[in-house]
Amino acid sequence: MKKLLNRLRGVERDVLESPTDADAPFYEPQADEIEIFRAAWTRRLPVMLKGPTGCGKTRFLEHMAHVLARPLVTVACHEDLTSSDLVGRFLLEGEETVWQDGPLTRSVKEGAICYLDEIVEARTDTTVVIHPLTDHRRQLPLDKRAKIIEAHEDFMLVISYNPGYQTVLKDLKPSTKQRFVGIAFDYPAEDVERRIVAKESGGLDDERVERLVAAGRRARALKDHGLEEATSTRALAYAGELMQAGLSPRTACRAAMIAPITDDPELVEALEEIMAAHFPETEPTTAAHG
Amino acid sequence: MAEADDLVAVEEVLQQLERISFVAQRDARAALPAIRPFGAATARAWIETARDLFQHDRESGKSFMRHSERLAEHTGVVEPWTAQSREFLQWVNSNYALEGFLAQADRVWAAWGEAGEREWFAIGLRWCGRSLADARAFFETPFDRLDGGNGPAGLRTLIEPAERLYDERGLTLDCYLAGAPMARNMVGDAGLLNWARRGADLLAAGRARGEAYFRMESEEGMKLLLEALPGYRGRTHGRFLQLLLRAWLEAEIPLADGNWKPGDGRPMLETDGRRLYLPAVFGGRDEAIVAVQHGAAHLAFDSYAREHIEALFRRAGTEHPPLDDQNRITWRPLFAPFAERMFRFQILFDLAEDLRVNLRMAQLIPGFLSRLLRIAAAHPVPDGPAGPYYRFALAAHRAALAVSGDRSPGVSVDPDAPETESGIDPRLRRMLEPDATVIDAWEAAERLFEDPAFPEIGIDERKEAYLPGLSLNAARPVYPQRLRDGDLSDFRDVGDAYEEHRFVREKQEEAPEQTPEGAQKDPDADIQLPREETSGSGGRIGVGIPQPAQVAKRGVAWQPRTGGIPYPEWDYREQRMISDWVNLNERVLDEQNPAAAETILAEHAATLKRLTRGLEMQRPTRMAPLRRQLDGDELDTESVIDFVADKRAGLSPKAFIYRRRTVQQRDTAVLLLADMSTSIMARHPGGQGKIVERVRSGMMLFAEAIDRIGDPFAISGFASRQRDQVHYYWLKDFKEPLDETVRGRIAGISGRLASRMGAAIRHSSRAMRRVASQHRLLLILSDGRPADYDDGGDPRYLHEDTRMAMKEALDAGVHPFCITLDPSGQDYLPAIFGPGHYTIIDRVDELPRRLPEIYLRLRR
Repeated sequence: MKKLLNRLRGVERDVLESPTDADAPFYEPQADEIEIFRAAWTRRLPVMLKGPTGCGKTRFLEHMAHVLARPLVTVACHEDLTSSDLVGRFLLEGEETVWQDGPLTRSVKEGAICYLDEIVEARTDTTVVIHPLTDHRRQLPLDKRAKIIEAHEDFMLVISYNPGYQTVLKDLKPSTKQRFVGIAFDYPAEDVERRIVAKESGGLDDERVERLVAAGRRARALKDHGLEEATSTRALAYAGELMQAGLSPRTACRAAMIAPITDDPELVEALEEIMAAHFPETEPTTAAHG
Repeated sequence: MAEADDLVAVEEVLQQLERISFVAQRDARAALPAIRPFGAATARAWIETARDLFQHDRESGKSFMRHSERLAEHTGVVEPWTAQSREFLQWVNSNYALEGFLAQADRVWAAWGEAGEREWFAIGLRWCGRSLADARAFFETPFDRLDGGNGPAGLRTLIEPAERLYDERGLTLDCYLAGAPMARNMVGDAGLLNWARRGADLLAAGRARGEAYFRMESEEGMKLLLEALPGYRGRTHGRFLQLLLRAWLEAEIPLADGNWKPGDGRPMLETDGRRLYLPAVFGGRDEAIVAVQHGAAHLAFDSYAREHIEALFRRAGTEHPPLDDQNRITWRPLFAPFAERMFRFQILFDLAEDLRVNLRMAQLIPGFLSRLLRIAAAHPVPDGPAGPYYRFALAAHRAALAVSGDRSPGVSVDPDAPETESGIDPRLRRMLEPDATVIDAWEAAERLFEDPAFPEIGIDERKEAYLPGLSLNAARPVYPQRLRDGDLSDFRDVGDAYEEHRFVREKQEEAPEQTPEGAQKDPDADIQLPREETSGSGGRIGVGIPQPAQVAKRGVAWQPRTGGIPYPEWDYREQRMISDWVNLNERVLDEQNPAAAETILAEHAATLKRLTRGLEMQRPTRMAPLRRQLDGDELDTESVIDFVADKRAGLSPKAFIYRRRTVQQRDTAVLLLADMSTSIMARHPGGQGKIVERVRSGMMLFAEAIDRIGDPFAISGFASRQRDQVHYYWLKDFKEPLDETVRGRIAGISGRLASRMGAAIRHSSRAMRRVASQHRLLLILSDGRPADYDDGGDPRYLHEDTRMAMKEALDAGVHPFCITLDPSGQDYLPAIFGPGHYTIIDRVDELPRRLPEIYLRLRR
């Protein structure tokens, strides 16, 4: 009863529900990633999305799932993720044990796109369960139930992989990596990024979008000089939204683009200086310059 | 009657003098006419003083008579200075002091009046009582250098610290006066005592070094003073400034210390085409940012492009630009044709060139020109000949702002000057075009040079003609660059420059060949052997033991050792960090003793065996099954049965029925840092052998124990000899396996020199940052207080520094823990490391057993 109510209210929905035919999530193509993904989809090849944090990997996939009208099951991977969490486990219900499928098993059975986000975070013994799904077999063995599940014809596996800081200590095994079709993402080109920020921030004026994007690109030059993660497109979009919500540009930049990424006082000072250069304290008066 | 007697007496003395020396009598007669008008009694007193001084010391007498005429004339009296001169009779060899006194007594009198002169004399006389050399230095130093413009009061405040330190530390005035007046200008009266006290400490550590400090010849003397200067410190904010360049130009432009000194006029940034040299202080943050960005603009927009410089030389009629020994171009030949009007041309040339690169930079960095104009408007327009240049530059930059399209507000400073392109002087218009080069700047400067509106200007006013943040472009010889046109992405000459720099320095410092033993023992830092001349026939066969040909003495500058890793140090007396005060070198310990290693292991085999059992328990990689979990990989059969049973029994148990296996990680890295100062070589109190033997055993067992647990660990030692020679020895690095070499090194350690612990802690915690572990433990094995040769006998100084280093380590996520063999450790360790962060091992024999135990306890 409660479930039904929630469903009616729209708070809860089953992960395997197909996208409705409303507008696809906004995505601005950077290069040929859409063609590659479509091609991989037609052959149902597993795909690996590579790229820094906040450059649009997850959004891209949401967009594609919508366009292809397939349900998208996302699993955020973390250190404690076990293979049971993916595949399924026995639960006790009443007086007997009941097998419950994990998100991966459900996707395999029902033909969804299963997205394992930040796969390197998961332990290596967990990641090997996907091996049989990623080659010609397209099978998921359920050891505990002594069963093998043949994948649904629409099932597709997608992983994301951020080749940044964490690869020093953690990396995907080469045997895992070479099973995927790779699509490399990076922060978008300046004009693309402007369109993204303008759209995401809900119609920030061109002038501020331009300055914001320029400032963000400058800040990116400081990556690896104390910044582990560069200013992401997402951070720029957040800053834009904060401006739209009435914050002054400097405050918005500080809140969205500086404070979250560093505590190093010199870096903060340098970033503030960059923001200040693009957004002088008082708003410029264009009339003074003929 | 009395007057007649006096006259007779004068004649008598004259005859006495004649008998002793013709010269004396002649000098006396020459001076007498000036003295006689003051009365016969005065003349008698004078000539008697002259005679007594002459008999006491011929030179004193001669000085006295030679200066008398002038003194009488200038002071209008004779009595006081005659009586004062008599005082010098108390000392033998006081003639130099007397000469100094007489040479300026009249000027002191004129400047400070009679009372002031008396005080000046009294101070000098007190120094005579201490040491005549100091008194001489006092009287010979021009009095107006001593007073700092404040008359006798200024003199008192200057001398006071010297008198105090003479009593406390035996600091001589001679030494002190060499730098004190300048130091006072920079740190004020209040800072003078600290400055002098530090100098006295250094003097106690090494004479040449201390003297160099006081003469401001050594970098350390200057550095301390510069740090006290007000202003925006480029060095402190170096990383920030570098990050800005990185952000705007995406290039690593190295920043280095310039050689600006107070008194050199406005602090300016300089460049040699490869790095930017920052002065010690800037007028403010904005000025520093503008200066650095402007300096980078010169590099990015080809002020020093080889092609263009060569073109300039061709224009000047010189075919090939002469390169100096480091392949740098010196500018002098270009400016030479302007002879004494050179500075005038230089300013105009820089003005045009600065305008050009600033406009290019403004297109890259929003707000760059606005900031420049903002600080330029706030800066007062200089008086004198520099004014017109300054105003011209300001107007030109305003016009450039209009062209740049910079929409930043708040720069419209002068409503009379329209910020439009038309506001630019036509002779500079070319500078605003994007394809203008340094050659165009030269041509513009030539046209401006014709304009009589720019007055003649000298070297002293030259710097005033520049807008704040801008600087002389030809201050240094430059390494010519390739044409860049804004692209600094391959600005990589840096490494070469560094290599070259080091090469040059090493060449200068190259020590002569020594026998390996001699090279290591370093008999005396003050002795510098010159390079041996071995060319020609014969060599130095039969000359005997090589002797130092030149021993540092007065006048030989002391050079601190550099080239290591600089670390700051905390000075509690001034409550501040002194940056780059300590010079630390990593060294490999060359003494090895593998045989002793085996003996030690054999000796402590039993202890090790006992330890091993405890160690097995602490292995980090055991998979520990966690039972009765709410969720997990497998069902925990036992708890399932319980669960079902409970359920059947009508209870409502919670479903803790899963089993999970996880690695229980004690992720700890440890660095054992041993104090390797001389004191560990002491005999074992009450036992056999030396303390160092127990230290070796302790470290050995420690190494074996940790190796068995498998934790990452390292062992190092430190010793120091004054602030510039802190040695850091790696016995085992984190990456090194525990093998025969490492064991041999541990068995071979010995004590040397002193223990400057703060620097060693700082270096250790920096090394531990490279280790990826959750917990980082720094175990410090010590046998006494931190101390060094140059701490001036003030134990608190290094205590406080160590305490500060310990705090820094904690902030960096490294946990220091001190293990000491010093039974009196509880007197000072709580203050340094805090309660619970140290342990005292009273019985040295226990060290080998306790050391691994302490670690095992700490890591739990």
